[in-house]
Amino acid sequence: MAALLRGLRAGRLLRGLPSVVAAPASTNQQCSSLRRSFHCAALRLQDESKSDKSSASSSSSSSSSTTHHEHYQAHSSHQDTEAASQQDPDPNSSDREQDEEYETEEQLQAQILAAALEFVPLHGWSMEAIAAGAESLGLSSASTGMFPNGSGDLVLHFISQCNSKLTEILAEQHNQVQLGQAERKKTADFLRDAVETRLRMCIPYIETWPQALSILLLPHNIPDSLKHLSTMVDDIWYYAGDRSTDMNWYTKRAVLTGLYNTTELVMLQDSSPDFKDTWAFLDNRIQDVVNMATTAKQMQSTGEAVAQGLMGAAVTLKNLTGLNQKR
Amino acid sequence: MHRAAHTALCDWPQFVRPAMIRQSLRCTGSLQTSSRAYSVIPPPRDREEEEMMHRMLRVDHAGEYGANRIYAGQMAVLGRSRTGPLIQQMWDQEKKHLAKFNEILAENRVRPTALLPLWNLAGFALGASTALLGKEGAMACTVAVEESISEHYNSQIRALMESDPERYTELLQMIKEFRDDEMDHHDTGLEHDAESLPGYWLLKNAIQLGCKAAIYVSQRV
Repeated sequence: MAALLRGLRAGRLLRGLPSVVAAPASTNQQCSSLRRSFHCAALRLQDESKSDKSSASSSSSSSSSTTHHEHYQAHSSHQDTEAASQQDPDPNSSDREQDEEYETEEQLQAQILAAALEFVPLHGWSMEAIAAGAESLGLSSASTGMFPNGSGDLVLHFISQCNSKLTEILAEQHNQVQLGQAERKKTADFLRDAVETRLRMCIPYIETWPQALSILLLPHNIPDSLKHLSTMVDDIWYYAGDRSTDMNWYTKRAVLTGLYNTTELVMLQDSSPDFKDTWAFLDNRIQDVVNMATTAKQMQSTGEAVAQGLMGAAVTLKNLTGLNQKR
Repeated sequence: MHRAAHTALCDWPQFVRPAMIRQSLRCTGSLQTSSRAYSVIPPPRDREEEEMMHRMLRVDHAGEYGANRIYAGQMAVLGRSRTGPLIQQMWDQEKKHLAKFNEILAENRVRPTALLPLWNLAGFALGASTALLGKEGAMACTVAVEESISEHYNSQIRALMESDPERYTELLQMIKEFRDDEMDHHDTGLEHDAESLPGYWLLKNAIQLGCKAAIYVSQRV
């Protein structure tokens, strides 16, 4: 929403390329995929060739086109003439498809890793899988040179993909609750469903998952894997409705991290149909957590009652000894 | 909304004093902004700005939390003395600041500082120990702490103004409001004989050094 408003502002100003190009630079993932689809459509319509400058500016004009049609047309026709005069148009449309699919090295890397995931059951989380993935995209297997930390990159890519999917699902559920189309789940149920959904994404790769976990525990991968884990746990608690701003923030996340990790380990050696033993384990652990929280609350209220009793006794003593008179 | 109206009604006695009329206008302003809390922090442009914002909010939240505990400590000792109502009044304002920061932290998903339990104990201990020195001790502690906090808010205001005053208008307004409240507390402390405490300069500088260290650490942890 904020990104659309920014696009609106950018479209309205349209003072020149620098200001317009700057605006889309700070969008989130959703908006960038939206932009890319507009971008592809715009390219097919206008028959422009691939270049960073023209693609960036046409994507920016596309984002503003949602709000200012006439600006888009004026700007894009300006772009058309500008681009056509600068570069030769690409004759082969399928080449253009491939060229359109990435604009930066990062996107190309993401594509190779995504393709490599298909070969993981065969080759494991390794350079061979990446090489096979690159070849399946029509690139040379020497592209593995782009990944000095090959297997780590592959596992981390898969994990961040799963986390993004999980966040999308949770956001969607959240929206449904806001719109009143769904009931608000209890915290325990919400956590159980979130962890189950996330762990189910690993099921296709469950054979090789022990290898993936050991790769994540390598020292050079630990900072990244911890960051992914902590972001995921934070997201789950946020959508579960946690808005605490004291030590509870830390204890809740620590508990969920423990829950998630232990359940993942149990899943690795679970051979029951559809992993129902794992889900039963998860249920029991969540129940433990709930019991612990209830006990903690009870202890706190008992402690408060005891403290009040002691204060009452102290005040009585002070009264008896006459220490409590106002000076 | 009910709670805002309730606190407005409860705070009515403090609005009667002429010196507090300025403050009352500011208080109603802050009650209005609390219903628009979602717009105080602009959505972050990039990772760097988000980091910077979060660090600022984290340390401010820790500061208000600590101030809260300091007043709680002072009230525990001096609650039933003559200065009780005065300290209670200042404490109530700090509670409002803390509530506001809690709101902002929650909706912007900012991590609170991990040292909160430490500030809990340290704040209460500082408040209680200075209050044991008497009313002048408590006032001296208030002066020292409020001066540190005001200085801190001023440097934040400077930083925000330097980077982009228009983008952070609401945040700046809020921080300025809070800084003015803290300056009021500082002046109140001076009015009530803070400087007549023996060893005032020593105590004040020691407390301010502690506050500086606390701010430094809370920004990072």
